[in-house]
Amino acid sequence: MNKLLVVALAVVLAACATVRKVESGSRPVGERMTMTIEGDWNHLDYPGIRPAQIWTMEGVTIDEFLIYSGIRDGQVMHPETPASSQKKNIVFRSNMQIEDVVAMFEGLLTRDGSTFRVISVEPYPFAGGQGFRFEYERIRKVDNVQQRGVGFGAVDRGELFALIYQAPRLTFFPRHKDRVEAIARTVSIR
Amino acid sequence: MKRRDLLAGGAACWACSLVHSAWAQTPADLDYAMPDRLTQPDPASDEGGLWALMDREERSLRRSPFAVRDGGLKAYVQDVACRLGGDHCPDLRIHLVRTPVFNATMSPNGMMQLWTGLLLRIENEAQLAAVVGHEIGHYLQRHTVDRLRDIKARSAFGQFLGLFGLAGAVGQLAVLASAFAYSRDHEREADRIGAILMHQAGYDVAEASRVWGNLLDELKARGQDPELISPLFATHPAPPERRETLAAYAAALPGGSAGDAAYETGTGRFLDEWLDDEVKRAQYAETLVLLSRLLTRRSGQGVIHLHRGDVYRLRGEKGDVDLAMADYQAAIRSADAPPRAYRGIGLTARQLGQKTEAVAALSRYLELAPDAPDARLIGTYVAELR
Repeated sequence: MNKLLVVALAVVLAACATVRKVESGSRPVGERMTMTIEGDWNHLDYPGIRPAQIWTMEGVTIDEFLIYSGIRDGQVMHPETPASSQKKNIVFRSNMQIEDVVAMFEGLLTRDGSTFRVISVEPYPFAGGQGFRFEYERIRKVDNVQQRGVGFGAVDRGELFALIYQAPRLTFFPRHKDRVEAIARTVSIR
Repeated sequence: MKRRDLLAGGAACWACSLVHSAWAQTPADLDYAMPDRLTQPDPASDEGGLWALMDREERSLRRSPFAVRDGGLKAYVQDVACRLGGDHCPDLRIHLVRTPVFNATMSPNGMMQLWTGLLLRIENEAQLAAVVGHEIGHYLQRHTVDRLRDIKARSAFGQFLGLFGLAGAVGQLAVLASAFAYSRDHEREADRIGAILMHQAGYDVAEASRVWGNLLDELKARGQDPELISPLFATHPAPPERRETLAAYAAALPGGSAGDAAYETGTGRFLDEWLDDEVKRAQYAETLVLLSRLLTRRSGQGVIHLHRGDVYRLRGEKGDVDLAMADYQAAIRSADAPPRAYRGIGLTARQLGQKTEAVAALSRYLELAPDAPDARLIGTYVAELR
């Protein structure tokens, strides 16, 4: 049944998302952020995840690379769909401290009933300035998959820039973690 | 809708049932004789197929990382079920599921699921008995099977189900049947049985309507009419009617105990974990109603103040900083002062520019929780403030 659900999820995503290849090289994301990637990624244009972009190496049911570029004060994160609109939307505030931003991502990534446990959060250089880095464990509600995740980010001139990568903890997260760390080191914000 | 929601919903659903029944009449029949213990039906029958499906779901649930495995907690809740279920005790298997949502379900094979969001909102053992008794009522009356047969009788449903291509027509029906609301008659009957079982087991039946009232208060905190914000509320009789009916049962079945202390003993040590999950939902208005209520009804005041402070700090509306600080201060004055309250004081003071207070509180937090996940971040804050 779990496999059926994952297939169903993939079908649903395929029905409402377009996929395009992102090739190696320097890539602008949004108006102010640029990053350099090595290896090709798949970019899904999936409305439910806005304002993030969602990229994947292995397929979106396996690994997710969420990219937030230039999120402004008051902007709604991952807007609730009408079917689940009983919940209040989660909003970014430009005066959020590091711990608040991490808590915001906790809220976003547990909204489907998944669990989320922060392993570490620390100051970290990002885009040439002071940012943050955090790692976490997540158990995905829909299929009980135990994931590991890492996030990087900074608030620059009131706008949030962040990268989050999560994947099954045993195989796929270790496979791509270094690749994501390398991307995070290349981020620049103009 | 997720698979587990579908399956769980097919069982008797307490949260759903709350909105399904509403009676204006005074309860007439408060006698109930339990049937004999249910036996495994013929696997070739529709009921047998449903049992098989739920047996498979139960095996999956046992392996799930969301299953709560604490033996003491499971035994406590199982004991309450046995106290209510009498001879059916060996057939009732309670599974606690870590999900911060108010929900309980009952399957025809005796599998009952209680979500931790429900356990967090329950105030005493009698309220727990109200939920469990209601679900046992569904089990004893085999409501799921009745519902399955009702749906099977509808040819349009049959055609619809055929589109999904899942193996086994009975299984298809069972899964999708769970997506639909239980009939009002079933809910009436389950509540009536639940109240009788509560009374027979020595619980105060009046606590049943309080469960409902508390949940409504949270829904109203969203700033909208609960009957409008939920399809369930919109398509079913008004919740106050049901509250009145439950109160009428309580008047007809007086006496009994609430079991405040027993519930504290059985579940109190999980309060912090369940509140953590609740705050992560980021549904601050509802959570504030819940936390303010818990402060008047539960022990563990320090932990509750801590989480209410976190909610105010994270919500960040006008005046919330002061409210957060007041809660954190209350937390450290309590007997069970949690180290994270010092973190909250330090972060709030830092936000207010109160450097000395921030350094003192954050340093105290690091002394008490040197291995905290955010220790390096907090250490940096302290260094910057000095």
